[in-house]
Amino acid sequence: MNLKEVSREIRASIIRMAHRSGSPHVASSLSCADILTALYFDVMKLEPWDERDIFIMSKGHAAMALYSTLAVRGIMSPELLEGYYRNNGTLPAHLDRFSAKGIEVSAGSLGHGFNMGLGMAYGLKKRGSRRKVYVLIGDGESQEGSIWEGALFAPKLGLDNFTVIMDYNNLQGYGRARDLCCFEPVKSKWQAFGWHVTETDGHDPEALGKAFNEGPEGKPKIMIACTTKGKGVSFMENELVWHYFIVTDEHKEKALLEIG
Amino acid sequence: MRNTFVDTIINASRKRDDIFIISGDAGLGVFDGFKEECPEKFLNLGVAEQNMASFSAGLSVTGFKVYMYNIIPFLLYRCYEQVRNDICYQKLPVTLVGIGSGVTYAPQGMTHYSVEDIGLAQTLPDLTVISPADPVEARLAAAYSLNSDKPVYIRLAKRGEPVIHQDDNFDITVPQVIREGQDTAVLFHGSISSEVMSAYGMIAKENICPLIISVPVLQPLKREILMEMLKGIRTVISVEEHFSSCGLGGILKQMHSDINPPWRLRTMGIPHEFIHTIRDTGGMRKHFKITADDIVAAVKGT
Repeated sequence: MNLKEVSREIRASIIRMAHRSGSPHVASSLSCADILTALYFDVMKLEPWDERDIFIMSKGHAAMALYSTLAVRGIMSPELLEGYYRNNGTLPAHLDRFSAKGIEVSAGSLGHGFNMGLGMAYGLKKRGSRRKVYVLIGDGESQEGSIWEGALFAPKLGLDNFTVIMDYNNLQGYGRARDLCCFEPVKSKWQAFGWHVTETDGHDPEALGKAFNEGPEGKPKIMIACTTKGKGVSFMENELVWHYFIVTDEHKEKALLEIG
Repeated sequence: MRNTFVDTIINASRKRDDIFIISGDAGLGVFDGFKEECPEKFLNLGVAEQNMASFSAGLSVTGFKVYMYNIIPFLLYRCYEQVRNDICYQKLPVTLVGIGSGVTYAPQGMTHYSVEDIGLAQTLPDLTVISPADPVEARLAAAYSLNSDKPVYIRLAKRGEPVIHQDDNFDITVPQVIREGQDTAVLFHGSISSEVMSAYGMIAKENICPLIISVPVLQPLKREILMEMLKGIRTVISVEEHFSSCGLGGILKQMHSDINPPWRLRTMGIPHEFIHTIRDTGGMRKHFKITADDIVAAVKGT
């Protein structure tokens, strides 16, 4: 499977999960499907498992994207997806690290996974490990004060084993990040905090792969991944309502047809 | 208490290399000994409590035994959700070390008091809550946390608290009889121990001998052991430098309601109000009627 095929499979899995369970957050999950594809099928070292790189889904409401990726990658048993968001089920809507293999950190409340990741990156460095930590945050999530608390300290600690990816789809629960607050200029904000900042197309796994592989020593890195919320399904793309809308039978058929 | 606690951690760090201390810009001078011996195992994460708590959780995932140190409001209140989601929910072995229990910092003002922390800590399942009464209990609390693979919260006053225990080695997780007695039992936790022991000294001269019990571990409370200790007791008085509503008083009220024991309960502590009065710690204890004299009067009044 090439990376495009992988991300198609992940997207189809997200649609099927959202339809089957009636859970929201389908568009948030579609938004980061290509980022997860690049990480789990190209960038991250996963063998041996005890020495694996760490991925933290700090925007925990996009859990369906992580579950689907882990299943497609063969880390999580695909049967677990059947019990997502169901009575006596297997996987919750927001992440619980005890629910399945591959969920490194429990997350759901925003602005937590980022800072746990910093602690992990620091601990791994202290132990002389070469393992890396990758954290996916949302643009809406970047309004949390905790993000900026951590942003102040990471460069001082020289955490070049720490990479943040911002899923910048400019669409949060009730509006656009750029309208709600002075979100821009986001790149120079992080640069001013002492981070290595790159911008990249968040839907091109190959471009993402390249972006992951560059960066100076001694500095933490943030990749601002420009994305479209709901990517891959035309009627969900860049539409506010799909943060919460439920996938009906008709939606599912149309969406799967488009994803291919 | 504080120095005994820290010394215990320093001693342990000589034998194991996984101990890490995170400070939220508090404890000037307290960790000088530790920093001298293990400079690479100490980190001040500044005035950023949310990051401090989540970072500590993440650090513990990589195999470090993390001690997170701060003044209690900035250890537990400011970052409650981080403690809940990142440390307790994820069952990570982080020990929260809080300083300035009760009104230790009076007259710094309400922002710096910790009169509801036990109530807040009790909302977190699997969090062991320890309020040592003297340096012996502080040392045993430190030893308990060193052996625990779960989250632990230890609330300390500051320093100079007198030793109340004759033994120096016992099971910290169970209530401790400090003085044998009958009819009335006085239960307490934390630094109010000095008032309780003064009260006992005064009242014993009059040949009144209440049973004196320290309750260092408030969660989980070993109810059966406590019930056994209270056999034959007619009145239980709880006293604490904490809101009695959500501290030991509240815990005993719940226990009383659950098991309907043959003793009646009287709770002494700080009323459930924000504190605006300006007094030092001694003045606060007088104001809230939790001094040795008040305890004597309560025992006599039973």
